[in-house]
Amino acid sequence: MKALRAHFFAPCPRDSYREGVRSMMPLALAISVWGLVTGVAMVNGGMTVPGALIVTFFVFAGSAQLATLPLLAVGAPLPVVWVTALLVNLRFVIFAAASRSYFVKLPWQQRLLAGYLNGDLGFALFSRKFGDATERGTPEQFGYFYGGATVNWVAWQLSSYVGIIIGGLFPTEWGFELAAALALVAVLIPMANKFPAVVGILVTGVLAVYTASMPMRLGLVVSVLIGGSVAVAADIWRSRSEVQPEPEPSAA
Amino acid sequence: MSPFHDWAYMAFATVGLTVVTFATRGSFFMLPPSVKLPKSWERALKYAPVCALTAIVAPAVFTKEHEPYISWNNHQMWALLAAGLVFAKFRNMTAMICVGMAVFTALRLWT
Repeated sequence: MKALRAHFFAPCPRDSYREGVRSMMPLALAISVWGLVTGVAMVNGGMTVPGALIVTFFVFAGSAQLATLPLLAVGAPLPVVWVTALLVNLRFVIFAAASRSYFVKLPWQQRLLAGYLNGDLGFALFSRKFGDATERGTPEQFGYFYGGATVNWVAWQLSSYVGIIIGGLFPTEWGFELAAALALVAVLIPMANKFPAVVGILVTGVLAVYTASMPMRLGLVVSVLIGGSVAVAADIWRSRSEVQPEPEPSAA
Repeated sequence: MSPFHDWAYMAFATVGLTVVTFATRGSFFMLPPSVKLPKSWERALKYAPVCALTAIVAPAVFTKEHEPYISWNNHQMWALLAAGLVFAKFRNMTAMICVGMAVFTALRLWT
């Protein structure tokens, strides 16, 4: 057991691990609500209990699980399912790029596990604490990271299992798909803090509603491609107009 | 048969989703340090998740049987509006889901 732990976890002092645990604890309730909603939504949407348990354990990504749920329910082609999860999860690529310098010297198994654990909240807490650290990759940093990640993982898994087990008790007309959609909105709103993101949301949203009848759920991919391009274009246009201000009239 | 009971479909779906989790979260942890994230990609990576989440949420709320459903009678629309206001004001996901579901349930039972 100890050898296994040393294989997958970088060595770290106990008190920094505890500090990580303490800083994630206040968020455990929110994580659990989100896990519960996801668990109930999966089973309520028709997923079998063993299927939902396996998905929760391995996939460990609430937004991707909720986003692909309606696709799986209608038996959408697997590439559409995977691409949707990929698009939703692309934000983690930015997280990985931003926090790589802390983990870069670790053996690959430890990096792989740290990556799997580097979700939204863990990344947010870790960046807030060590974002300005000049020395990167210290045992204290690993301890803090693992502490937060443990609380996040345990709270998420346990609450999801509870949701999966009790999910069958709720009648479908109670509308748990809506709770799932609202849980996704909670991820979406903090990302909608800039003009290009708002434009992207509006364009994608309108397109997604009016292409919902397209076969194989292709409307989803089409609307993300168009909406995303518009958002990128808006960002480029805006940064150009910011970077190149009107030249100051010279005094001469 | 429901796709959820098609074990091969679910197995392949789950394996693919697991690969996606590791590939995205682990991406730059696993790549050699010489590989950097190009600045121009950052924009696309930033807006793709925003748009993908929208493309899931919008039809879930604003369609009925795959057709646009924009009407005063659309209970989900009011629930989303209430939930969005609560979240924007309090930044609290639990309160947001509770208020949204309460509005939805109230409208469902009393109209």
